[in-house]
Amino acid sequence: MLANHNIPTKPMRQTPVMFQRLQELVRYRELVRNLVVSELKARYKASVLGFVWSLLNPLAMMLVFTVVFSFLLTDKNRVEKYPLFLLCGLLPWNYFTAAVMGSVQSVVGNANLVKKVYFPREALPIAGVLAQLVNFLLAFIVLFAALLIFRAHFSPWLWLLPLVILIQTCFALGIAFILSTLNVFYRDTMMIMDVIMLAWFFLTPVVYSAEAFPRAYQLLGYIVDVRRWAYILNPMASLINMYRDLLFLGSRTDLDFFLRTTITALVVLIFGYWFFIRYSDRFGEEL
Amino acid sequence: MSVIRNAKATPGQPLIELHHVSKRFAMHRERHRSFQESFIRIFRKSHTAQDEFWPLRDVSITIYPGDCIGIIGRNGSGKSTLLKMISGILPPTSGDLTVSGRISALLELGAGFHPDLTGRENVYLNGSIYGISRQKMSQIIDKIIDYAELGDFIDTPIKHYSSGMYVRLGFAVAIHTEPDLMLVDEVLAVGDAAFQRKCMDSIQLYRRQGGTLLLVSHDLGAIQAICNRVLWIEDGVIQAEGHPTDVMMSYQRYYAELEEARQLAHQDPQDDSEKSSKQRWGTGQIRVTKVELCDAKGEAHINFRTGDPMTVRLHYEAKGAIEEPIFGLAIHHQQGTHICGPNTKFGGLTLPLVEGSGIISYVIPSLALLAGGYLLSIAVINQNNTETFDYHDRTITFHVYPGDSQEQYGLVTLNGVWQREFDPILTPPVTEKYYAR
Repeated sequence: MLANHNIPTKPMRQTPVMFQRLQELVRYRELVRNLVVSELKARYKASVLGFVWSLLNPLAMMLVFTVVFSFLLTDKNRVEKYPLFLLCGLLPWNYFTAAVMGSVQSVVGNANLVKKVYFPREALPIAGVLAQLVNFLLAFIVLFAALLIFRAHFSPWLWLLPLVILIQTCFALGIAFILSTLNVFYRDTMMIMDVIMLAWFFLTPVVYSAEAFPRAYQLLGYIVDVRRWAYILNPMASLINMYRDLLFLGSRTDLDFFLRTTITALVVLIFGYWFFIRYSDRFGEEL
Repeated sequence: MSVIRNAKATPGQPLIELHHVSKRFAMHRERHRSFQESFIRIFRKSHTAQDEFWPLRDVSITIYPGDCIGIIGRNGSGKSTLLKMISGILPPTSGDLTVSGRISALLELGAGFHPDLTGRENVYLNGSIYGISRQKMSQIIDKIIDYAELGDFIDTPIKHYSSGMYVRLGFAVAIHTEPDLMLVDEVLAVGDAAFQRKCMDSIQLYRRQGGTLLLVSHDLGAIQAICNRVLWIEDGVIQAEGHPTDVMMSYQRYYAELEEARQLAHQDPQDDSEKSSKQRWGTGQIRVTKVELCDAKGEAHINFRTGDPMTVRLHYEAKGAIEEPIFGLAIHHQQGTHICGPNTKFGGLTLPLVEGSGIISYVIPSLALLAGGYLLSIAVINQNNTETFDYHDRTITFHVYPGDSQEQYGLVTLNGVWQREFDPILTPPVTEKYYAR
């Protein structure tokens, strides 16, 4: 955690640069908006159902997982109202995957823009993540419909939801900055990320409950609280847990996890942004 | 190295300042684009030599608001790299770069367009790349669509556009967003003649309104017509900068000399006697063994400028004594038009008897030919034009480059002088305004 404090302040000459870049980005907010719109438009342009897919897709996935896991999960691990439980985890996870995988290609895929016109390059990954955010928000229609159908308990803590979404967006954006930069120099990033995201999916309690992690596990003579460590090491586990707390259980979420995840997300975001602007000058000649 | 970009231009201050700016590209023999290759490289320890390439070296220029700079130079001389650095696409390797104001750049065909979006959507996207708000774009979009002459195509995805349509739309957006600085790299050449004229008119208007322009073009005429300064870049170095006529003169002289050296190096000394019979015939009683095109100092060249003096010297050898031969020459334009055919008889020079070897010369005080490639034929015939001693049919080529003459149309200049004559009856009294200057 100490190292986290170093990142924004250590390179003294970088701070004003980062600030300048942020100012420039604000001037170009219209471009970010247009890139988001064009990405959404381009995605659904040739499809018959258009944006309805944003709703159909999570529904279909919910169906698949429910069917599969009703066979796989033992009685011990069975979760009440499984489709709802699943949806509360699957939607945020889908948002995260789509945002990360979409923005890995955001700079490379727009090579003709980057090579031929100037604009703050960070607009590309930002637009990539924001386009997915729009999709995610659309999918909440499905989620709230499911909440009503399952007569879930709407708690007053629901107002925390926008904050959780914001934290997740910051985290996804930070990762998007790092990966989109790496992908310019090493195209393998994309391939590696395919595998990593798959592993990450199974390590995160999306289709199963975090209860499956043992509280106390004997490892090399130490008693390890696997569940706690899973949350600490995997910000996505904490994030999805928060969504479940707020939406599925209708309870308040753990302040401890909440703060830690916030800090992690901000650190990743600031480091990612610093990393991105450090190398973005070279994009024009590397592509 | 420092790069400063100001969003707004300060009045009276330069828009662009480059101090000793250089740019280096590393030319990877093989590009190590993947982890695998990088990994292998660690073990091989083969240091793949990275060739360096400097598209620009030590460039310093200052551009003030209202300037219109034409940039000339051969392909690969660094012109586009310069524009890309000014626009911000490439960072300089060393030197200081300061750019102020809002830039529109037309560097490549369809740059800043998204192929899946319609023309209209792309206008907004392109506008936001130039930093224009959606609100402002909505006000000018009708003008843009009208200007680009796209008609119903404006609501078609632009991947279906022709290259001319790309350029029209790109230029329409760039010029209507009223940038402080506009960078144009040769793309206008894609449009048809009518649109090019329209572009030129718009650029003139943009300039009159105080706009600043950097224009890369191979069309020297266009540059001469709009620019107040010209920058000549060769091998990444600024060769000359200044008044358009001066820079273009030295540019053209440089290429004329280069071309000359190249052609002289390729010339076969025995060329003369080995010409194919199709281009060379005659009885051979008099042979023209060598033809020289000389300048005022008597030095042989193959490149001249309009208005230069030129002397054609014919070296001949005669077998025996020939009575009253006629030496003549003919000049054809490279596209075939026969321009003139002077000879000694027309010129009033009688050669009673020709024996052995000698030189006949035709002196042109001021070359009337306009820029282009020309072919020279030589003939030696007898008095009655019944016998051809030697004939070189269009065997000698030479080039004419524009000199001080501004004339562009046709093949020759008649060296006429334009005057205004005042008819006391028809002309209304001239107001003082005419003499104000």
